[in-house]
Amino acid sequence: MRTFYFLALVLGFILLQSTALNFIAINGIKPDLVLVLIILNGFLRGTREGAFLGFVGGVMQDLVSGGYFGMYALTNITAGYLGGLGEGRLYRDNRFIAAGLTWFCTWGAQLVFYLLLAVAEVQVPVLTALIGIIIPVSFYNALVVLLFYGLYYRSHRQGLLSDGQY
Amino acid sequence: MSGLSLAKKLVLLGLLIIVMVTGLHYSAGGIERLTPLASSVRDILSPVQRVIMIAGREVSNLVTTPAKLIGLSKRYRQLDEKNSQLESQLLQFKEISEENIRLKKMLDFRTDLAPQLATEAAAVTGRDHGNWFGSITINKGENQGIKSDMTVITPAGLVGRVIRVSGNTAEVLLITDPRSGVGSMVQETRSPGILEGVTGGQGSLKMVHIPADLTPDRGNRVITAGLGSVFPKGIPIGTVREVRKEEAGLFKMAEIEPYVDFNRLEEVLVVTSYKLETP
Repeated sequence: MRTFYFLALVLGFILLQSTALNFIAINGIKPDLVLVLIILNGFLRGTREGAFLGFVGGVMQDLVSGGYFGMYALTNITAGYLGGLGEGRLYRDNRFIAAGLTWFCTWGAQLVFYLLLAVAEVQVPVLTALIGIIIPVSFYNALVVLLFYGLYYRSHRQGLLSDGQY
Repeated sequence: MSGLSLAKKLVLLGLLIIVMVTGLHYSAGGIERLTPLASSVRDILSPVQRVIMIAGREVSNLVTTPAKLIGLSKRYRQLDEKNSQLESQLLQFKEISEENIRLKKMLDFRTDLAPQLATEAAAVTGRDHGNWFGSITINKGENQGIKSDMTVITPAGLVGRVIRVSGNTAEVLLITDPRSGVGSMVQETRSPGILEGVTGGQGSLKMVHIPADLTPDRGNRVITAGLGSVFPKGIPIGTVREVRKEEAGLFKMAEIEPYVDFNRLEEVLVVTSYKLETP
């Protein structure tokens, strides 16, 4: 059931990102809530579940975007796995640590996305990609985690995303 | 975890990545095809997206209204003064406008494209959910006569072209998308070039392959060239912001400031047919 709620949340965030989130875009950049969700899931659940649900969430994104199939799936596997590396190694009660990890994992995932763009023969200048997208999105995602990590963590421990072990 | 199971997992992961990258490589040439599943997903999600978009706009307006009220009194005084000035200017402009109409008739010079284009109005129901690509979803599709490669505009200028169509929605590739290329020219110098998007989210454009002997100036207007392109000739795109040499050195490139505000698109016009008369 927890997985179902997680995927419903992914779908909800995809819808938000394609609609209302555009009103809080700064210089055309909006936070990537799906990526944040997948990173945090990896952080709290480990590399295996992080990568797996990252993959499933990514396939959902690929399906909705209808473009290059596999681009979001591969990016989100990376994000979930990188997030999972923090599990058991980093202190999970601290939102600043979660935000820092999100910043780092967003960098990694966005770099993978950039490489996949090259595979799909879409050219974006490196500096533009870094300054225009990767760095702003990393900070924006980290800010989102600073604001909402407590809510997510509570849901992970006792709410809809809990597996009842606490 | 035994060594064998780890090896199996690694092989499976490797296979998965190879399948995905291969699929990605082959789907790269066919982004204009929409699978029946993706088409159905879009048709189902479109009304939901429209509702969320409207709700988001209302919330955004509600949140920003108190901030706007703070400067309202000062703004009122400024506008009152401005109004008096404008009223006197309006009288002058009316006279100039009359003169302009007469001169246009004399020259038989057509600057307004509107009468030559048949358009279908559509509302923007969604945008690409990522930050890399620039595309919008509109609430008109195949059932309303929308087809791939149709040009999309606003009264301000060129927006993009339709790339995918489902029953009741269509996806429009914005000219700011890095996958977009538009045959264009500088109106004043007649310099041809290709207009390319940089990243989807940012509203910046670059015009490449401009012949060095036809270098445009800052502020020159860029329009669609029409030749061999899906876009009708003469649609305004933007103005030249900066010109510099291309890395190869043979051509010039220009940064273009678009007329259209791509972050504020709410309604667009899809050009369903056009007949341009060359002067």
